[in-house]
Amino acid sequence: MSQARTLTFSIFRYDPQESGDKPKMVTYSLTEAPGMTVFIALNQLRETQDPSLQFDFVCRAGICGSCAMVINGFPTLACRTLTANYPDGHIKLMPLPGFDLIGDLSVNTGKFMRELSERLSLWLHPNSADNDIHRIEAPMSPEEATKLYELERCVECGVCVSACATKQMRDTFVGAVGMMKIARFELDSRDTRTADDFYHVIGNQDGVFGCMTLLGCQDTCPKDLPHMQQIAYLRRKMASV
Amino acid sequence: MAANSLQTKVDRAVNTDKGFAHPLWAARADKLQSLSGVLLGLFLVMHLHFESSILFGKEAFYQVAQFLEGGIFSETGHGYPLVTKIFSCFMLLILLIHAVFALRRFPTQLGQWRALRNQMRFLPHEDTKIWFWQMITGFLLFFLVPTHLFTMITNPEIGPHLSAERVYHLNAWALYILLLPVVAVHAVFGLYRVVVKWGLVEQRFAMLKFAKVLLVYLMVLGVASLLTYIFIGRSLALPVVPYVSML
Amino acid sequence: MKIIYTDTLVVGAGLAGLRVAIASKERGLDTLVLSLVPAKRSHSVAAQGGMQASLANTIKGEGDDEDIHFQDTVKGSDWGCDQDVARMFAHCAPKAVRELAQWGVPWTRITKGDRQVIVNAEKVTITEAEAAHGLINARDFGGTKKWRTCYTADGAGHSLLYAVDNKAISLGIPVHERMEALSLIHDGERCHGVIARCLITGELRAYIAKSTTIATGGYGRIYSVSTNAVICEGIGQALALDTGVATLGNMEAVQFHPTAIVPVGILTTEGCRGDGGVLRDKDGYRFMPDYEPEKKELASRDVVSRRMTEHMRKGKGVNSPYGPHLWLDITLLGQKHIDTNLREVKEICENFLGIDPVKDWIPVRPTQHYSMGGIRTKANGESPQLSGLFSVGEAACWDMHGFNRLGGNSLAETVVGGMIIGKYVADFGEQTSLVVDTDLIAQFGKQLQTEVDQLIEGEGTEDPFKLKASMQKIMMDYVGIFRNGPELEVAVNQLTELLERSKNLGLKCKKRHANPELVEALRVKRMLKVAVTVACGALARTESRGAHSREDFPQRNDQDWLNRTLTSWPDANSLRPEMSYEALDVMRMELPPGYRGYGVDNAIAHPDTQKRQQQVEAILAELGDDADRYAKQAALMPFELPEEYQPRNQRFTDTVAKTDAESGEK
Repeated sequence: MSQARTLTFSIFRYDPQESGDKPKMVTYSLTEAPGMTVFIALNQLRETQDPSLQFDFVCRAGICGSCAMVINGFPTLACRTLTANYPDGHIKLMPLPGFDLIGDLSVNTGKFMRELSERLSLWLHPNSADNDIHRIEAPMSPEEATKLYELERCVECGVCVSACATKQMRDTFVGAVGMMKIARFELDSRDTRTADDFYHVIGNQDGVFGCMTLLGCQDTCPKDLPHMQQIAYLRRKMASV
Repeated sequence: MAANSLQTKVDRAVNTDKGFAHPLWAARADKLQSLSGVLLGLFLVMHLHFESSILFGKEAFYQVAQFLEGGIFSETGHGYPLVTKIFSCFMLLILLIHAVFALRRFPTQLGQWRALRNQMRFLPHEDTKIWFWQMITGFLLFFLVPTHLFTMITNPEIGPHLSAERVYHLNAWALYILLLPVVAVHAVFGLYRVVVKWGLVEQRFAMLKFAKVLLVYLMVLGVASLLTYIFIGRSLALPVVPYVSML
Repeated sequence: MKIIYTDTLVVGAGLAGLRVAIASKERGLDTLVLSLVPAKRSHSVAAQGGMQASLANTIKGEGDDEDIHFQDTVKGSDWGCDQDVARMFAHCAPKAVRELAQWGVPWTRITKGDRQVIVNAEKVTITEAEAAHGLINARDFGGTKKWRTCYTADGAGHSLLYAVDNKAISLGIPVHERMEALSLIHDGERCHGVIARCLITGELRAYIAKSTTIATGGYGRIYSVSTNAVICEGIGQALALDTGVATLGNMEAVQFHPTAIVPVGILTTEGCRGDGGVLRDKDGYRFMPDYEPEKKELASRDVVSRRMTEHMRKGKGVNSPYGPHLWLDITLLGQKHIDTNLREVKEICENFLGIDPVKDWIPVRPTQHYSMGGIRTKANGESPQLSGLFSVGEAACWDMHGFNRLGGNSLAETVVGGMIIGKYVADFGEQTSLVVDTDLIAQFGKQLQTEVDQLIEGEGTEDPFKLKASMQKIMMDYVGIFRNGPELEVAVNQLTELLERSKNLGLKCKKRHANPELVEALRVKRMLKVAVTVACGALARTESRGAHSREDFPQRNDQDWLNRTLTSWPDANSLRPEMSYEALDVMRMELPPGYRGYGVDNAIAHPDTQKRQQQVEAILAELGDDADRYAKQAALMPFELPEEYQPRNQRFTDTVAKTDAESGEK
């Protein structure tokens, strides 16, 4: 193995709760180790150089969606980003735009997602008559189940929201995450909502007709969800209501 | 109690505005914007092709112009410039519809503009950049296209010599040299976006590549035609005599 | 200090916690959930395999029922579990799966007709029944007699957590995110709630409730390498320990998984080896056949983990900056197989290792995976010592796993335990009234405030990050897969030394609000107590049972150790917990201790085992051949359940038989 590189991290630092603190970029150096991810690097920086450094990780396996940040201009999950992906060894880290900043690289995506969920009623609205858990479940076509799961893989990381210029310009826009979830429930045969019901929620400027098809969502989604296709589907569906 | 407040939130999200703010207009506006855009875009592609017939000589252009002005319906075979006039008015109307609905997309506040610029600086992204330029070109077209159309309404004569006179001697080249790239960029990427937006084509990157090729092609076509008119214009003595068919 | 009152307080917003909250809210109780992270980021989301429930829809699950699920679970636990609880669990698992289908989980469904599957690395064609088309499918998992694990593609935990959290949102259950519970308010007999600290503002807040449910997950992160999320730090168990009254059960029961990638400890599925992958050492040598000539890489999970560790101890591990590891070689399976059947493994390798498993070997080593131990509860989920304190899921020692957990039973425990215990929590909320003792609240609030002040303003010199790393290393080195007396002694001594040093923690960052170093300091003191508890339990238990493997005591010893370790920490200043043991009553067992089915049967029998076995046979003989399985079960070991969950589970085969019978009559 060749000599280990020295990585240069340029990290956005700002504590909004600290009076007088101003946003700034701070540079740190770290010796790269084989297989190093941004998760490992940030923890090393916190443990050895600056214990006040704020960032969020939970599963550190690309599953929970906690750690999205902007890495060299591209919003993605930090836990599964290898430092080896950056040949010049310069890594610039910024918090996801479009969310409340807690501090440094930590943003409040949880609050955003919960509010979105309440605003758009993002849960299954089943037929309440059909709820005997002791009896055999209602059958569902295997293809439908597969399709539902494909749309359900969203991890609410917030990358699509941060990558969407429409969302950045208009705060009330629901973004790709909201529309992907609507599309998921719209597809679900167990959901009793009609196209009209969905139109009430997203058939407006803050919903599917506010989307300007900039496709930041499609190009950055860490789970490769078919945002472009699903938003187009919803647009056609809603336009025909 | 918490469930009640949740219901209120849900209710609040449901739009109950009237008139143009009525939610149904959101769908109509999006459809009309796309539809008018497609009409304008396709018209532009045809327009550039018809007018580039000058590359095949004055006679070719003359025949095309006469045909489009409804020459087959006249005994002399000459077209009616009135057709151009009416058609220009119609396009102006389409343009107005397109502009009205497209205006919704413009950042109306300084904050929005700043957010957009920040976004492009910190998260560079190709389609966002393309849209940005579409917005800029759209803004310019708001002034350039009516200028062009008013000329055509007030002075609708089209022909190898008359058009060349307009381009060269009446200095319309200055307008066209601006208008051509602006309108080509706006139309080509507009068509691309409409296709992607409504999910008409799944192969987006192939589409984008095609759009770029189309843009280059239209530019070459446009520039070549424009240069031809300039050359013709320079060769014409004033006052310009309309071209007479050799056939 | 702000005080928030509610009926039901749940600490932890993973599947188990949310399910309890839903049960309580549905009964009209005011319910509130605290969570370190947004609910949907909880570690439940990482479960990929699925959950066990004896639906018996698929042809490979034909004939499955609660009895077989129960037996698998008890055997898997190496007879260390509470059989009543295992019964409650097995009975309610199908109900939970069906309920989740109504809440939106897109369970993978059965397609009628022929399909090719791989069994024992060979292609086999199975034929699903026409009538089973569209019903919930199940896959094969280790240690189960039938295909019983219901799943949604490769993201069962994700689908379940999203469906359950969505349900909670639809009910308007508030989740206070980024709130860390740091002490339980109690009077020695009754639990009144928690004092929590906001991770954003640093504010301390009292949450006062009729019942407090701890659902904070496991304590995997007391080990340096764990497949667990970084939030699984055992703070829930520490909360109970800190009361000095509540007990933890079987804390030494910790499961290791053989093949997690190095360095990040993310799991690669057992399917890699199931399909024919092999393990290699630093010389590229396939070593497993030397240790386990018969089953090789496919010996049971704990055995493979032990052999790998043994081999690395011989210096055969590959050295890396992250410590020694071994190689998992699946290159021999070929591109097509990996792309189609092991897609997930391929993605993990690409994203986290930057390698292509079609061409490269995967660096792996045994890694901490699951905590069987936790807050000891009765079958209703309540602490036997502190009334009003409940616990559920991995955080608890409800005890359906004993000393080893079956794959697919952890995800199942969260929702099944949640639905059962949720009912009892709701009952408790209806039957009791809120006790508000402002002096007591102030006392606990002040105690935590003093602790924070001490850390911020004190003269301490110990670095919390370093203490934590030392603890994790000790746990990994001496309380890992293999354990022995001398090493465990070292562990206990070194850990207590660290615990002593943790009284002298000092911070470089003096912020009172969002301060990661303060968070770490508050946690490391608590984690150390949990670590000491695990090490002490392991040292005291001089036998090998399930995942607890003592090199110096390799036999399972039912005679002396058919019991549950109980630990409490009555003296806050002491460096050691107090331990006692709760015997498992063989004479009440439906399934008396027997041979688990792995390795040599060298268990030392319990004196009652034979007696109970004869009794069981006598009871069954008396019932006669006409008795159905429900009657037999009821005669052997009656168990309690909330009334709503008592009805029998209908199965697809029941309806087919019934329709046949009906049409026959016509």
